[in-house]
Amino acid sequence: MAAFLNFSPAGGDQSEGAGRGNPFFRSLLAMLEGFGAIVRKDLRLEVRSGESTVALVSLSILILVVMVLAFGPGGARRAEVAAAALWIALIFAGTLGATRALLAERESGCIRGLLLSPVEPATIYAAKLAVALIFMAEAGVAVLVVLVLFFNLEFGGGLLRLIPVALLGAVGLAALCTLLATISGRVRAGAMLLPVLVVPLFTPALIAGSKASAAVLAGQPLSAVATWLKLLCAFDVLFVAAGYLLFEHVILED
Amino acid sequence: MTEALLQAQRISKFFGDRPVLHGINFTARPGQAAVIVGRNGVGKSTLIRVFCGLARPSAGRLLLFGAEPVHLAAAQFRRLGVLLHQTLLYPNLSARENLEFYAEIYALAEPATHAARWLERVGLQRAADEPVSALSRGMEQRLGIARALLADPDLILLDEPFSALDRDGSAMVAGLIREALARRAAVLFTAHTPLEIEGVDLGLFKLESSGLTPLREEPRRRALRSLLRRRL
Amino acid sequence: MKGYLSVTLATTSCLAMLAALFMVFVYVPTEVDQGIVQRIFYFHLPCAWVAFLAFGIVAIAGALYLWLGHKIWDELGYAAAELGMVFCTLVLVTGSIWAKPIWGTWWTWDSRLTTTFILWLLYGGYLLLRAFAGDSDEIARFAAVLGIVGVLDVPVIIISVRLWRTIHPAVLLTRQGEHGLQDPRMVATLLVSLGAFTIMFIWLLWLRLTTLRLRTRVAMLRRNLALLEAGAYR
Repeated sequence: MAAFLNFSPAGGDQSEGAGRGNPFFRSLLAMLEGFGAIVRKDLRLEVRSGESTVALVSLSILILVVMVLAFGPGGARRAEVAAAALWIALIFAGTLGATRALLAERESGCIRGLLLSPVEPATIYAAKLAVALIFMAEAGVAVLVVLVLFFNLEFGGGLLRLIPVALLGAVGLAALCTLLATISGRVRAGAMLLPVLVVPLFTPALIAGSKASAAVLAGQPLSAVATWLKLLCAFDVLFVAAGYLLFEHVILED
Repeated sequence: MTEALLQAQRISKFFGDRPVLHGINFTARPGQAAVIVGRNGVGKSTLIRVFCGLARPSAGRLLLFGAEPVHLAAAQFRRLGVLLHQTLLYPNLSARENLEFYAEIYALAEPATHAARWLERVGLQRAADEPVSALSRGMEQRLGIARALLADPDLILLDEPFSALDRDGSAMVAGLIREALARRAAVLFTAHTPLEIEGVDLGLFKLESSGLTPLREEPRRRALRSLLRRRL
Repeated sequence: MKGYLSVTLATTSCLAMLAALFMVFVYVPTEVDQGIVQRIFYFHLPCAWVAFLAFGIVAIAGALYLWLGHKIWDELGYAAAELGMVFCTLVLVTGSIWAKPIWGTWWTWDSRLTTTFILWLLYGGYLLLRAFAGDSDEIARFAAVLGIVGVLDVPVIIISVRLWRTIHPAVLLTRQGEHGLQDPRMVATLLVSLGAFTIMFIWLLWLRLTTLRLRTRVAMLRRNLALLEAGAYR
């Protein structure tokens, strides 16, 4: 189970950390090292190929363009339209991003390499969540830039206030998607199944996030949407914890 | 009584309704070497995957380092080195980067030095900075073996390590196996046909649908067979 | 023993349902504001209760499957999900039938209906997964995780939907809930109906579970047969 509950026996411990600090500290350190190594590796891979970034950014921009064309760029409801566009883009980019973060391991069966290593499955989850979050942030930045361009800086400070809202939503989405993304590789219509599974689960964060985004873009301060933000935080904490504990059950094969 | 590194007790494995393994019993102790032979498709790769804890047995019990893989402390996996049919290497990273990555997650001190040393040992120092996708199958295989042996594991499971290698590569791997045995690791690998490794008391097992059976040869038959086998 | 339990459940369920039907259509007085249509409430609410109960069972069975590993927990979860989907659909349908004469529309986005609709989607996802992916251990574990995550989500969904609706009170109309029942006969009818639906759910769950267990048994026999044919028992 979780790293903290397993104190490895002293026998056969060849690492340089033997004897340094108590077991809890040691496993925490090991977890952070493993986490860091995996995230760095994934980012290096992404910097080299750029596939995921291109896919996500283009998808997000496309969604935004469609929304603006459908609803018109101006008008009294543009804050809501922009908020809706952002969240739709986040959801699609999110599921795609998390899938790609996890599926990078599918080539050459590298996920088995990770599973055979001393890295806990929960650490793999945390690392993949972080990478999915980074991908989503890329999509988010693209959306923000397009919002600025399309809506002619009308939102001003609202865009800045939007960032924490979008970030909180992205964390919850990444947590859910990373946990459930393993289904994409395993099952016949897996990639289609993932949004079907994730979106109903994501509805509380979607409600909270889109309402808060619309309010903030319409000029309201963050304090006005405090309830929604609290809900988003609770959602994030709940599902990151659930994912952390449950990931080992979905990642093991056969 | 030396502690058994691997214990398989009456293990079966089904894929859906199709039986792949049945009635597998096996024990691996420190310093023990064994080769498992069987025709194509009999389940050698599945056996290795069950033995290293990746695939759950449908029935029976597997003990790795004395515990079932799901209950095994994560740090214990450092004592396990595995080569699968898949290379477990990232095709878009270089050979060096792959080894450095694995050295990091195996929490080895000075991962860069470790990786460089192993690249030399498997003869890949010149191709060290090429992406793995550009390597030949034989070179990938050697890198995969380096990956498996990186952390000086106590239990080594190799799925057909000699299959893609030329004479020099095979001799090198045989040497690595000898070294591992010298430091009291257990080595278990699979092959199509029986082999021998010089200076190593290699147990021979055959995998069939009825299970894993040890094969013992009398001296005369052994002499005859050595004409047909490869000697490494 | 098994036959005994099955017969008992079937009889109790039928009797309880007959009693409930009697009470709903004969015993209980017609409600003043809404008229006869209001009687659907005595089916609507118990269906909702069963739908949520079933979801809880899916999650608990999933957790037990992950913990204990015995296939029966996975079967229980699957059976509960199937039944839960049926009852959830019934809630939405009875809700629509009730809403049309009262509010003039088939659907309203009030907090309870919306929450039930999201629950329906969660069930749908679970069943789609099972339909596509089958029955292997891997999928059973994934389904268990899905169930657990779903049940953790339900309270958050309820809270968020309620917050969502209170900000837009214009379309909202308070519906007849438990607290709006004036006559003690109404309370009694509701309780009997709740009991009847719960017993019927347990009976159907038992039936379905038996079928799934038989299916597992057949699969095991097929495996043994395959082993024999492969010469494993030489």
